[in-house]
Amino acid sequence: MHRVLLPFEFAEPATVGEVVELVDGQKARVLAGGVDLVLKMRLREILPEKVVSLQKVPGLDYVQEDDAGLRFGALASLRQIELSQAVRTGWPLLAEALGSIVSVQTKVMGTTVGNLCVGTPASDVAPALYALGARVKITGVDAVREIPIEEFFVDVGKTAVGPHEIVTEIFIPRPVAGSSGAYVKLSKTKEDIAKVNAAVLLTIADGACTDAKIALGSVAPTPIRAMEAEQLLRVRGMSAGAIAEAAEAAAEAATPISDVRSTAAYRREMVRVLVRDALDKAVSRARAGGGRS
Amino acid sequence: MTKEIATFIVNGGEYEVIVEPHMLLIDVLRDKLGLTGTKYACGAGDCGACTVLIDGKPSFSCLTLAVTAVGKSITTIEGLADGAELHPIQQAFVDKGAIQCGFCTPGMILSTKALLDENPAPTRDEIKSALAGNLCRCTGYVKIIDAVEVAAETMRNGGQGS
Amino acid sequence: MTESLHYVGKRLTRPDVAAKATGAAMYGADLALPGMLIGRILTSPHAHANIVSIDTSKARALPGVAAVITHEDVPKRYFTRSVMAEGMPPFAYEGENQDQFILSEKARYMGDWIAAVAAVDIYTAEKALDLIEVVYEPLPAVFDPEEALKPGAPVIHDRWQGNVAAVIEHPFTRGDLEKSLAESDHVVEFSGRNSRQKQAHMEPDVALARWDEEGRLTIWSPNQNPHLAKKTMARRVFGIGEGKVRWISTIVGGGFGARMSFGVEPVCALLAKVTGKPVKVVLTREEDFSGYNSRTEQRQTIRLGVTKDGTVTAIEQTILSDSGAYFSHSGSISAVNMQSTLGLLRSPVVAGKATVAYSNNPTSSGMRGYGNPEGSFVLQQAIDMAAEKCGMDPVEFRLKNARGVGEPSMWEPVLLDSCNLDQCIKLGAERIGWKDKWQGWGTKKEGRLRRGVGMSIMTHASGAGGFLLEHSNAILKLHEDGSAQLTVSPCEMGQGILGVLAQIAAEAAGLRYEDIHVMSGDTDITLFDIGSHASRSTYVIGNAVVDAGLKVKEILLARAAKRLDVTAGELKVEDGQVRVKADPARAVSVAELSHDAIYEYGTDGQHITATGTYQSVTHCPNFQAGFVEVEVDTETGVIKVLRFVIAHDIGRAINPQNVEGCLQGGAAQGVGYALSEDLVIDDKTGKVLTDSFATYKMLSTLDMPEVEVILVEEPAPTGPFGAKGVGEPGMTNVAPSIANALYDAVGIRIHSLPMTPEKVLEALQSNRT
Repeated sequence: MHRVLLPFEFAEPATVGEVVELVDGQKARVLAGGVDLVLKMRLREILPEKVVSLQKVPGLDYVQEDDAGLRFGALASLRQIELSQAVRTGWPLLAEALGSIVSVQTKVMGTTVGNLCVGTPASDVAPALYALGARVKITGVDAVREIPIEEFFVDVGKTAVGPHEIVTEIFIPRPVAGSSGAYVKLSKTKEDIAKVNAAVLLTIADGACTDAKIALGSVAPTPIRAMEAEQLLRVRGMSAGAIAEAAEAAAEAATPISDVRSTAAYRREMVRVLVRDALDKAVSRARAGGGRS
Repeated sequence: MTKEIATFIVNGGEYEVIVEPHMLLIDVLRDKLGLTGTKYACGAGDCGACTVLIDGKPSFSCLTLAVTAVGKSITTIEGLADGAELHPIQQAFVDKGAIQCGFCTPGMILSTKALLDENPAPTRDEIKSALAGNLCRCTGYVKIIDAVEVAAETMRNGGQGS
Repeated sequence: MTESLHYVGKRLTRPDVAAKATGAAMYGADLALPGMLIGRILTSPHAHANIVSIDTSKARALPGVAAVITHEDVPKRYFTRSVMAEGMPPFAYEGENQDQFILSEKARYMGDWIAAVAAVDIYTAEKALDLIEVVYEPLPAVFDPEEALKPGAPVIHDRWQGNVAAVIEHPFTRGDLEKSLAESDHVVEFSGRNSRQKQAHMEPDVALARWDEEGRLTIWSPNQNPHLAKKTMARRVFGIGEGKVRWISTIVGGGFGARMSFGVEPVCALLAKVTGKPVKVVLTREEDFSGYNSRTEQRQTIRLGVTKDGTVTAIEQTILSDSGAYFSHSGSISAVNMQSTLGLLRSPVVAGKATVAYSNNPTSSGMRGYGNPEGSFVLQQAIDMAAEKCGMDPVEFRLKNARGVGEPSMWEPVLLDSCNLDQCIKLGAERIGWKDKWQGWGTKKEGRLRRGVGMSIMTHASGAGGFLLEHSNAILKLHEDGSAQLTVSPCEMGQGILGVLAQIAAEAAGLRYEDIHVMSGDTDITLFDIGSHASRSTYVIGNAVVDAGLKVKEILLARAAKRLDVTAGELKVEDGQVRVKADPARAVSVAELSHDAIYEYGTDGQHITATGTYQSVTHCPNFQAGFVEVEVDTETGVIKVLRFVIAHDIGRAINPQNVEGCLQGGAAQGVGYALSEDLVIDDKTGKVLTDSFATYKMLSTLDMPEVEVILVEEPAPTGPFGAKGVGEPGMTNVAPSIANALYDAVGIRIHSLPMTPEKVLEALQSNRT
């Protein structure tokens, strides 16, 4: 166990182009907020020879909305997005998910993109982005590509980002009219990583459910969508019975493990309970507020 | 970049320090500048004892590479009092029994300052949320929240400190 | 006490907190000496292994490395990590296993100390650690104390075959247990175990050591018992006289019992000796979690016999304690568990036995409550089960059976001369609304969220008077300006003891609180004291301070009498003035008296000072009742604590703000102990899986429930101004009252801590089937 880091080379380029030329995902790593990277380096879980900072590249901390949707850059902090009026009004599901990260310092220092790039299925942000249909822009040396968030997470700790690439932007489309969502999280204490977390987003038109997105965290190697559960709601609507069945289907979609935080059996059962709770919440929010996401 | 002489702006003063990329801000503050008020309790961003303000924002100095803090305005606990006169937040902590062993106190006070700079009249719930990243093992938080309420009132009524 | 008090009972500001608020307070890690080296320790990656070879050549060759040591370099003198052992009476001391060296000659747990480095800076020290090559021969390991006691289990210490570290019979075992149980109308049995809760003080362990030119060792470290630590280090570790060691306790960032043991001091001292330079050794938080000192896991069964009218007839407690790889406090904790558990209620028949086993887990130790929270979790549930069998209200059952004034305390030869537990129970019950909220046994609650109330009672010592060495000294010395130096040796670890002792000194001597400067922690300057443990400091050291204060007052009165030409009986001292009672305008200040006593050009010169001594013969127990209301989510198993009420028999609160803070902090630790804190050890490898605050979950601001504190103040006859101890008790009633409230809410009992949602849900589901 170590108290200090091992020496490394440090670069602070001024352009994204230079950053992607320098990083290789192995020996040369990108530094955004550093909350994850610096700790892993101290614990010797990651041993890069070179650290390439994004912090001196201008214009990466934007949070912007337009008619199409919301965009934020690689250096937009969790706190910025949580407090953004645009997010609170237009993407309240995302604001709710960010609110479940209770450490202010973590949100001030940590970037939302960085949170995703850790590649943990327990990310508090990911389920909300799955439900909202987010897209990830990845910039490489010669090309820029955009992939849906579902393709971004590959395995525990692994994302689709290639060796000479970094994520430069997240785009979230504007939720359609009649959208109503909820984010739920279970953890040992409030300042904790989730045992189970989930985000749901319903589209309700004329009192009927026309679309449903259910995203689960912490119960598979990556965040997942509970597709069968979603389909069930589209077909059968949002009665209590349909919701209960959808929650059951969501629980079946999960492949949780037992670890220091919880057991597989408990997690599976909690998927059922939390998804049902989240769906109930989304429905009652729709009834109360007439269309929130 | 390997070793370089960098200028750190801490509590309004400028300090030239020989720094290497692998050095943590907390160690530069404590070992090179002798500002031992910032405490190392976990080194993992889990407890908030190492909290300093960087450009006014509460940050874990234990997870900040010192080189990334060069040129930014850093406030440590030593920067709050005005000579012998305690900042209202410090005074409130002292008066209301919010300090027991004191190890979490500097970080707790700086997180409080960040809160009150942004929200001069927080509710108890808002105070709890602002301090959720700061662990205390001694007090059970009750008197800390009392102290923040008192400090907020003092500062609203024109008590010293900025 | 009919006179009005000036300082005792007031919410005065502590003298040590301003420095903590400004960052000026110097904790161990903040200290530096010229030429100081940094030390780091190499730990074993195996839970049980022989050390085949250690090659330190590459490490020693690294520029900047001053020394690398292994077990080959340590004095071959065994000691026990617990420094409290030195305070035990001789017969008990024999039972304290001296089983470790400064660095281990064999790895007995994952995290055991194998080698250490001192270098010019921490970067070099850690680089050197990485260059040490150890060849291990891994051995089969055992992580369960039951397994460790079985024949054929791996032998951890050759001198303790069968891994039996200790067997302790409860000294007050009496009567024919089986006969009594057979004749009882009802017998209940409850088994349970506590978790290895971690003290998790915010300040990681640290030490600074320096040997001087006269061969004296100075240690700076956050130890709770510096005089005992000094003796252990001198006599046990190095085999030198006590006068050769100076122990300076630094400002302590939380103790909670962890610092009644050595931390890194022995390694630090040896590195300093070998290098001839000052050395500071630091630990990371991960090393603190993995290393040593967590609360001892105690697996207990309690059997309780009662008559049908709810009178206890017999009580038996059997314990299996996991000492971990070395012996520290696990023996005395098991003994104290039995004392507090078996001594709380009135019972003609009592039996208790504890077996302490070695295992390849990290060494366990004492934590706040020291056996009491461990025992209470089991006892208070057994009590409720017995009350249920008799159809009695839990409040009534406890009122009926708890011992009171005139009856034996938990250390039986000492009778209780002060006990207000009844009042605590009644006031607490009233405050929580027990009459309305407790609806009787077997009340079926409905709905997803179900509420319940539960209670618990406890007694704790104020020091160990009557069974361990209890000896405190205080020096009160006046300065020429009438202010005073109070030299005492508690451990200020946040409980506010320095301010409390200053309040007592001022009150006793007639000085002003703001004129008392408190000095503590340096064994060269302070007189012998046991230090802070067993919630003793206010009671025992407070009494020594009273003694010193009264002696100083006597001197002041005598000198003033001469000066004012009256008798001493006609004078009183208060607020730094000596006045004629009948004519208060006739006065002389303490400052004048003090100054003139020193600058006395005749033969009546004196530096006004006095030494106070106190040895307690009673541990002056304090008492407490805890009441909780919970809400249980029957679908998630989550227990939400809505309200916790503590009523504490404090005797007198010298500083009510301190006492409240102590109890609130104890409640936070208690809720964590009950619901979320768990040091999890991998049962295949012995690795501590919860080695960070990210995985070991303590309460944050958002988790802390509402806590109400009621102080019952009936002055204890032997306490300083009637005060009793309160340092530890805040924790003890929380988990048992939550456990009993859980039963009230949903009709299930949990047998192990923490009572996680996973366990609750599983119990609920098997209850339904």
